[in-house]
Amino acid sequence: MDILIGLQTANEVILVTSRAISRGVSVLKHDDNKVVKLNSYTAMAYSGEPGDVSNFAEYIQANVALYGLRHGIEMTPNSVAAFTRSELARSLRTRKPYQVNLLIGGFHPREAKPMLAWVDYLGSKVDLPYAAHGYAAYYITATLDRYWKKGLTLEQGLKLAAQCVSELQTRMPIDFKGCDVHIVGKSGIQSADLPPIVVAPGVANKPSEATLASA
Amino acid sequence: MSGYDRALSVFSPDGHVFQVEYAKEAVKRGTCAVAVKGKEVVVLGAERRSALKLHDTRTTPSKLCKVDEHVTLAFAGLSADARILLDKARVQAQSTKLTLEDPVSVEFITKYVAGVQQKYTQSGGVRPFGISTLIAGFDPNDRTPQLYYTEPSGIYSAWKANAIGRSSKTVRELLEKNYEPDMDEEQTLRLAVKSLLEVVQTGVKNIEIAVMRPGQPMDIVDAERLDAVVTSIEAEKAEAEAKAKARPVRREP
Amino acid sequence: MDAIVSKYTRPVAGPLEGLRSGGERKSAFDFELPSIDRPAAFLRAHTDDATNPDARIKIQHGTTTLSFKFQGGIVVAVDSRATAGNWVASQSVKKVLEINPYLLGTMAGGAADCQYWERWLGSQCRLHELRNKERITVSAASKILANVMYHYKGAGLSMGTMICGYSKQDKPEIFYVDSDGSRVPGHLFCVGSGQTFAYGVLDQGYRWDLSVDEALALGKRAILAATHRDAYSGGSVNLYHIKSEGWVYHGNYDVGTEIWKVKEEEGSFNDIRT
Repeated sequence: MDILIGLQTANEVILVTSRAISRGVSVLKHDDNKVVKLNSYTAMAYSGEPGDVSNFAEYIQANVALYGLRHGIEMTPNSVAAFTRSELARSLRTRKPYQVNLLIGGFHPREAKPMLAWVDYLGSKVDLPYAAHGYAAYYITATLDRYWKKGLTLEQGLKLAAQCVSELQTRMPIDFKGCDVHIVGKSGIQSADLPPIVVAPGVANKPSEATLASA
Repeated sequence: MSGYDRALSVFSPDGHVFQVEYAKEAVKRGTCAVAVKGKEVVVLGAERRSALKLHDTRTTPSKLCKVDEHVTLAFAGLSADARILLDKARVQAQSTKLTLEDPVSVEFITKYVAGVQQKYTQSGGVRPFGISTLIAGFDPNDRTPQLYYTEPSGIYSAWKANAIGRSSKTVRELLEKNYEPDMDEEQTLRLAVKSLLEVVQTGVKNIEIAVMRPGQPMDIVDAERLDAVVTSIEAEKAEAEAKAKARPVRREP
Repeated sequence: MDAIVSKYTRPVAGPLEGLRSGGERKSAFDFELPSIDRPAAFLRAHTDDATNPDARIKIQHGTTTLSFKFQGGIVVAVDSRATAGNWVASQSVKKVLEINPYLLGTMAGGAADCQYWERWLGSQCRLHELRNKERITVSAASKILANVMYHYKGAGLSMGTMICGYSKQDKPEIFYVDSDGSRVPGHLFCVGSGQTFAYGVLDQGYRWDLSVDEALALGKRAILAATHRDAYSGGSVNLYHIKSEGWVYHGNYDVGTEIWKVKEEEGSFNDIRT
């Protein structure tokens, strides 16, 4: 199960995606990138049915590019999210719907505001300050509920992202081969490194026999 | 009226398809466009009609159009027709990228545009596109400039420099006289502007220029840079004229 | 005159359209599906798989194939056994499909599906070459195959293949393409029922700066490992080396004799007592 996490900071959106592609019993790829750049200020993280994901992502990418060329102005992140959602909703009523879940991260250059949209294969779309898809959501939504605050700096945001990945590495029973990070902000879309990931304190700080004895 | 120009799929007895020839006439009446290849650069230029006093020009489309990030199309002729052809080219560029992964090559998209133009000379119920196009840019991962020309009949060809539209013959002659291989960006730009000024009397106000460089999107040359080029061309012209006047007239004995 | 004109005149130009998924339709889509409601369900009901081993129609399955990039190009190695249920149908199957002189495809999953679609891919590549006056890239070729697989997704095709060759910029390229419609670029893949065994040897013995001989030996050794442990892989190893000038065939090695040679040379396979 692929991991998608998105969280807003005061001036950016951070997208975190896992690197593994698994097929059957084997890990097929260790350095996959599950984020696609749609235009200067919109990035989309995707997961779901193999085959559907890349086809859908490329289809959206081509249409967003076509819009930019036709109109001489790029779609806003909100319109990209609305368009993507409507394509999924349309697809849901066909014989072979796309089974793709998405996080769309964007930045409005004019209003200088970040945005994050959670979109699922049923065609639901919610604008959220932080969000996740898949099994990862079961572990880290609570973490984000606890630690996410309005107006985080980028540094704090990345630290929180690393905290989420730490929780997943500690508790999730599969190895997702680490995570990629993309930041969408006023200078466009950039990839970044997470701060060092530590084992969650709940496991790392297991009391020693001596401590227990003295208690 | 001979009757042989009422529908497209009809030849005249001497082998002409009149509607196609009329389309070429429409091109000749359109505003002029030029394109010049340099070393690792292509410059496209177009004449811009002066606007009427009350016209809001914000919505007037440019004649230098992006087909994709790495391909630009300039046209001469009926701009309403151009819009349709351009949109087909844009859709094809994205669709090809979707099926073949790599962005289209300039030759590929030219072939497609020419193919559409040809289709409209051989189908019922349609008329040909009243435009010629200059398609320029760079292939992915390639630094060689590419420049192609298409016409309403569907013919396409590669050029070092070319002009289409009003007075294109005069402009082409000027290009033939002044073209040199491997010009740098400044020289290429200069030649493109110079050739356009040949037909655009109103000068810098009524021309637009775009520069294409390898791996970069189209760059529209701003007024300041354009002004500088025009001024220097005019200065050069004045100097040449002065020299011609100063030279003593040699008489045969 | 006008009467003739109107008789032969009909509109052809359609309205402007946006992009629709799937792109243009190619001749491939003339491929016919059986005239039943759900081909995949039909196939599942009448052919063998893990849940239904007694079905009368047994599809040829079970394979080990691998390919990897290294300093000297690409090595492709495969086994040669075809099984239909428990029955070893053949010990001499060609599982490397020579798409053209510089592109190879491997075969895992349904033998017929792989053979048909990779031969079809060969014709598409040739058409591309004729139309565009240049060799198709590995990336484009693999995408054509992936697109058609995606088009038939759910129709019951079974295919796991690696499309291997050289790009225009003279870089080795491998794409994993399967019948889900996935298309994954990578530098090292093992595909088929024996993949885990092949990975076990290949992953541990791999280095980028392997010499050509070492790389060929490693490819062969990894397939040998799989044929030893996977009942559905066996027969012989077919070996290929791809260079920028095209592929070279490096022979067929019967695993029955190869294993004893390797055992003696390496002192390995100590599970076999002599």
